[in-house]
Amino acid sequence: MDLGTVLSIILLAPLVSAGLIWLFARQRAVLAMALSLAAAGIILCFSLYILLGGWNGEPYEVTAEWLRLGGLSLSIGFLLNNLSALMLFVVSFVGFWIHLFSVGYMNDDSARGRFFGGLSIFMFSMLGIVLADNLFMLFIFWELVGFSSYMLIGHYLNDEAAQASKKAFITNRVGDFGFLVGIIMVYWTFGTVSLTELDHILEHDKSAVTAIMGLLLFCGVVGKSAQMPLHVWLPDAMAGPTPISALIHAATMVAAGVYFLGRTFLLFTPDALVIISWVGVVTAACAAIWAFGQRDIKKILAYSTLSQLGYMVAGFGMGSLYGLHAHGDSHSALLYGVGASMFHLTTHAFFKALLFLGSGSVIHACHHEQDIFKMGGLYKKMPLTTIAFAAGVLAIAGIPFLSAFFSKDAILYVAMKENYGAFIILSITAILTATYMGRLFFIAFLGKPNSESAEHAHESPWTIVVPLLVLAVFSLLGGYLWMYPKPLQPIIEGWVPHAHGADHTTMIVISLVASVGGLAFAFFFYGRGSATDRLEKIAPPVYGIAKSKFFFDEAYGYYIRKVQDRFAELMAFFDTLLISGILVRGAAGVAGLFGIIARRLHTGSVASYVWWFFAGLILFGAFAGGFLDGLLR
Amino acid sequence: MSIGLEDYIFVSVLLFAIGLFGVLLRKNTLVVFMCLELILSASILALVAFSRYHATPANPLMEGNTFVLFIIAIAACEVAVGLAIIVALWRRNLTVDLDQINELKH
Repeated sequence: MDLGTVLSIILLAPLVSAGLIWLFARQRAVLAMALSLAAAGIILCFSLYILLGGWNGEPYEVTAEWLRLGGLSLSIGFLLNNLSALMLFVVSFVGFWIHLFSVGYMNDDSARGRFFGGLSIFMFSMLGIVLADNLFMLFIFWELVGFSSYMLIGHYLNDEAAQASKKAFITNRVGDFGFLVGIIMVYWTFGTVSLTELDHILEHDKSAVTAIMGLLLFCGVVGKSAQMPLHVWLPDAMAGPTPISALIHAATMVAAGVYFLGRTFLLFTPDALVIISWVGVVTAACAAIWAFGQRDIKKILAYSTLSQLGYMVAGFGMGSLYGLHAHGDSHSALLYGVGASMFHLTTHAFFKALLFLGSGSVIHACHHEQDIFKMGGLYKKMPLTTIAFAAGVLAIAGIPFLSAFFSKDAILYVAMKENYGAFIILSITAILTATYMGRLFFIAFLGKPNSESAEHAHESPWTIVVPLLVLAVFSLLGGYLWMYPKPLQPIIEGWVPHAHGADHTTMIVISLVASVGGLAFAFFFYGRGSATDRLEKIAPPVYGIAKSKFFFDEAYGYYIRKVQDRFAELMAFFDTLLISGILVRGAAGVAGLFGIIARRLHTGSVASYVWWFFAGLILFGAFAGGFLDGLLR
Repeated sequence: MSIGLEDYIFVSVLLFAIGLFGVLLRKNTLVVFMCLELILSASILALVAFSRYHATPANPLMEGNTFVLFIIAIAACEVAVGLAIIVALWRRNLTVDLDQINELKH
């Protein structure tokens, strides 16, 4: 089959599924489920067909003009290269298992039609980002992803979900404004937004790239990948159903920002890369601290996602700088940043989807209890979930030779080579990561049950457990080359920076100390299945700092109330005065005035009309007689 | 004494003035209507007079006379319609006083 056809099927299958659900299956839950799952299955099958032999590994592009506005031509098309193939694999693979999980998890939901329709729309939007061959198309799907995320966060229709979905959408829009300006700037500078053409231009001459351009594009990434200071929406987005948190807010959508960086890596100057790195480092560190102040299992995972996204962004920045400094300003040298971030994105997609689905399984079993201090002792009730979750915890902690060990080490290694300060911060963050994940696992799964609902927990059905086990295998082994289809291997093999010799030993030691040390500290400090937070008890100020999240929400709330709302009021005042007052009411007033005058003439007395008629007659007579010539000239 | 164009115009203006002041000052719809007919007569008298006095043996200008015949015929029809309206008004309001017939204003 033609590659373009295959890609079209992959992109359009979820759209067709969403359309059919919208038309026929809004009230038929089972049909909606079947359609959505079938679309996910088709995507996975065709992706695997591409990866396992349907594609020779050469970049493939097909494009068609969509709109022409004067000199501006908007096209839609697909660009399949190693990078988009990797992302396609992640999205289709993780996406399919999460669809299967949703079938089990949402079995008692009353609005499954809407939910599965939303899932399909999301898959469509996400695949659009993955396959887009130009920045405008990418931007369209970028916004569609924001929309589907909005729709799915607000699934439960309660006040918290409504607020969270609004917050997510608006925060993303803030970032997207910069993103759009950046895209326009790229078009202004290079006269094209096609990724391939940009690559050709930039390969030979990078002098036209400015730091501002890269940073504007990075604004979109800051919004979508929830980096500081636009990270506030991601923890709140946990108000959505857990499969959504797993698919959108952990594995794929938030990773779209990092993927975008990789897709346009030539557009970032060294200055921009330094700033990007530090944004990532600060996000990684702060989010790891905030995770200690949370009791909600999903919130903890949300902050851990923030932290890992920070790693990826930092890895992109410092990896590219490392490539520049170690191998000169060549095309392939910059790929180190792409490799480091994309490798971590891939392993993170596996283990974070696993952790979220695990937490979903737990929440499902505990009758929607999300407080880890009300769980405890789940290992006896839910052995399979516990094993899978443990695999995820070990992976994210960075235990040597599991998936995140390799990917996180690549990032730590470039940090060590590039910026020692960032390296220290990221290493401490690695320790914190292991500690808060240990805290979560030991409190929720070990010890004795702390509440009624945890006591009555039971293992989840197979639709929930199977995705967990599959993802557990990938979380453990995702760092090895042979796990990946052949077209993806160049990224893992060639693009990811690897430490050699003494550095290699250092990295293993750091990972071992950070992961084992962090987990052991959590084990002894928090205890098994405790009902209270020990940190809160012995050091309330420290806990308070973590819980405060550094007052970002409060600061934004203050800004919106005191500055933005005031400004809006001022604008509304001018609007009332100028637009409604003078322009709209003014025009109506002038017409009304003429009306009043004209009404005076309408007396209802025939004699007065005859007077007017006579006056008109005299006027015409005067005109015909030439008496008015002086006046008219 | 021969009757010239000026005499015809004088009679025409006189008729027009009588008609106009009748329309302006009288309140009875029937009288106003008759005055309107006087104005019409004034204008056709002027028309036929001009037509007669501009005629030459080579170009007798019969159009003016023909025109006037048509106007008289149409005016007769119009009088029939106007009188019918006035009769209808009388039946409806039991008055033909112009000051009291102002329903279209309200």
